[in-house]
Amino acid sequence: MKIILLECKKAVMSPIILALLLLFTAWNIFQIYDHSKLKEGLDVANELAKKYGVTFSDESLAKLEEDLKAELADLNAITEKIDSRTFESAFDFFNQLKFEDQERYSKNELHSFYETYVKEMYADMATSMDADYASFDMKRMGEDEISRFGLTGAAAETLRKEYAQFADRFEALQANNEHKQWFFAGKQYGMHSLLFRTMFRSIVIETMILVVLATAFITNYEFENRTQLVTYATRRGRRFMLDKLVASLIATSGITIFLLVVTLSTYFSFFDYSHLWKTAISSGFNWEFNFPYVSWWNLSFLNYLVLGILLFYVCMLLFSAFTFALSVLIKNSYFTFILFAGIFIMLFIVQSFLPTSSNVMLMAGFNLSTLVLNPHQWWMGSSGLTMFKYHELLTVGAWAVIFAILCVLALKKFAKQDIS
Amino acid sequence: MRILLHEIRKILNWKILLILAFVNVILYFFLIEFDIKHFPNGRPALDSYRIGVEMIENYGTNMDAAELAGFKKKYDQEVRKADQFLQAREDFKEAGILSYADFQRMDHENEAESDLRGKLFFDEKVDLFWELQERERLIEFHNDKETILQNEMEGATPNQQKRLNEIKATGQYDLYPDEAFYNFQSIIRSIAITILISVVLLVSPLFIRDRARQMIDLQYTAKIGRPLYKKKVAAGLISTLLVISVLLAVYLSLFSLNHTSMFFKIPINSFIARMGGYYWYDLTFFQYIVLTIIAIYGLGIIMGLISMAVSNIVPNFITLIGVQVPIVFGLLAFGLHYMLNQIVSIWLPQWLVPVCYATLLAVSIAFIFLLWRREKKIDMV
Repeated sequence: MKIILLECKKAVMSPIILALLLLFTAWNIFQIYDHSKLKEGLDVANELAKKYGVTFSDESLAKLEEDLKAELADLNAITEKIDSRTFESAFDFFNQLKFEDQERYSKNELHSFYETYVKEMYADMATSMDADYASFDMKRMGEDEISRFGLTGAAAETLRKEYAQFADRFEALQANNEHKQWFFAGKQYGMHSLLFRTMFRSIVIETMILVVLATAFITNYEFENRTQLVTYATRRGRRFMLDKLVASLIATSGITIFLLVVTLSTYFSFFDYSHLWKTAISSGFNWEFNFPYVSWWNLSFLNYLVLGILLFYVCMLLFSAFTFALSVLIKNSYFTFILFAGIFIMLFIVQSFLPTSSNVMLMAGFNLSTLVLNPHQWWMGSSGLTMFKYHELLTVGAWAVIFAILCVLALKKFAKQDIS
Repeated sequence: MRILLHEIRKILNWKILLILAFVNVILYFFLIEFDIKHFPNGRPALDSYRIGVEMIENYGTNMDAAELAGFKKKYDQEVRKADQFLQAREDFKEAGILSYADFQRMDHENEAESDLRGKLFFDEKVDLFWELQERERLIEFHNDKETILQNEMEGATPNQQKRLNEIKATGQYDLYPDEAFYNFQSIIRSIAITILISVVLLVSPLFIRDRARQMIDLQYTAKIGRPLYKKKVAAGLISTLLVISVLLAVYLSLFSLNHTSMFFKIPINSFIARMGGYYWYDLTFFQYIVLTIIAIYGLGIIMGLISMAVSNIVPNFITLIGVQVPIVFGLLAFGLHYMLNQIVSIWLPQWLVPVCYATLLAVSIAFIFLLWRREKKIDMV
């Protein structure tokens, strides 16, 4: 055990990995800070969920309308005094408000007007939610996707079947009112994109760089410091390589957890989710582009986050294992890093080279590069060619087997290799 | 001389060349291919490109008032063609659309009318109608160009205003479609990324390779020893220039497949300024291309020198990569935008880009020079 920890220490205590770790962390914190500046009105979603419950119904919406009327009366009382005008809604007020007139109202007044305005927006969206959802035609969406990617033959059939299955899920979702839950309005704030696309993708890329460096460092250490003839000639001998694998995985865990914990805790201290943890990730408000984010299962935001973290962690372990196998075979960190990066990008683009008529093309989507670079679409049924229900599990499972075999082969080869 | 050649051969060894080929193939498909395969990228880009070619044939590389009027006249002729086209069509006659003017007034909200419109544009892909739209866009630019420039003037510094007034005085701005120009902007950035990564991969192992094999002890005890540093740097620079040249030759000849050479003689200020693009200097498109090529050489030399310097100080390969990751990423993500695409943009202070190049070059040369001073005295253990 001690030997494994000492191996870990080699990587984790090396100045360059520590320096990069701190640099990346600082960059993440800066990114969060940079985004947190322009999010006025963001907290309204929390307030609504707190006051009217996470799920909204016709009754709670009616109550919201009533409260809005009271707020509007307050607004009109103030505007009548200052401007001798009244408004039908806060929207009308901001619609006519000119930049130079803003000074006539105090900051507090404008702020509370703006909150009313945002609430009106939420109320509007909530009221039209059912109608908006009813207008989606899953079958047509499937056909659109198929023609967008130019699929024919077996591939088109597979995707059609998948969309039929997704249509069932979409119906079930509407039946259990999963979409009628308060969440940050996606089109206005894009919080799902911010957290799962911008932040998670940053963490994924940063961690991957560190994991590859650390693993290659640990594995190639003896060869690069010319100590291999001593180390691998001891009683522990070549089995020492196995210790290095374990050490790499432990180092990977350490790096991953550190980056995740620091980044996410900064994120959640800048952005308040306190009343939205239980909101379903498929909430109708979580709708940024043409179609809302709809997951294959009924997951709350918290569940989704935890599942995402787990998936991310497993992927990093897999990358570490892959780097290990490459390192053992190549014995040079420089080429290991380049080769890893090359293969990573190659897997990412391989799909576009395959014929669009065969299922092989869809199968090529089950690769780790595509998976880790699209964290905002994990577990989602609305993610184009990777919308399969068990896409994440199958991808991770398949590559775990492939990398395990690769590691075993590399170790076997290493056991008999000339190491001079 | 012989040592220099040997050093170059050490840098351009078969393993590195193989890796370079592998990396370049991947980066080609990842970054560059799109701008070649998809040019012009769909419609109306295709129509924009075709009209641009036609304009150059008819009016040359600058347009005077008579030629602008000619362009409008041509539009009117095309409208008459569209009128005839619509009058000959039963389906449009039924819908009560008898002229292009009616066609333009069609209601997008009305499903029947928008279907009819879509049929013409997307199912039948009638060139005439696509082209008319593009002509309208260009004429709009021609009509509004003074207002556009005036708007740009508002937030400008005195220097920028002076330059904008110069451009205004010539009248040669916001004239030609910019498909070709923006295609070049996009592809040259990808090419630069690929080339810079290749340079870094190539020269990074320069010093560390010998050190890892414990060659330094052998080399530096010989008389020729320490000055080897200079030979290695020279070899690194020569290989850098060689690789940049070869890759540029390959990628630019691939770029020539886009057939945009007829636009080369157009001054860059004459392209319509879709993204507010005015420039400090009166370059033609071709001169601009030459300038960006020089810029790529400059950046390549800077990157090469920095990589060599890093290679000289770091203890192992992992540190070598680790140190370069933020440098390369910073340069590619932020530096390229200012130092390549916006190189003569009026929205950067005129002195900024030259100062950036000068500073970076000075710093990297100073770095290499200081390391040489260190090399002269360093202990051999």
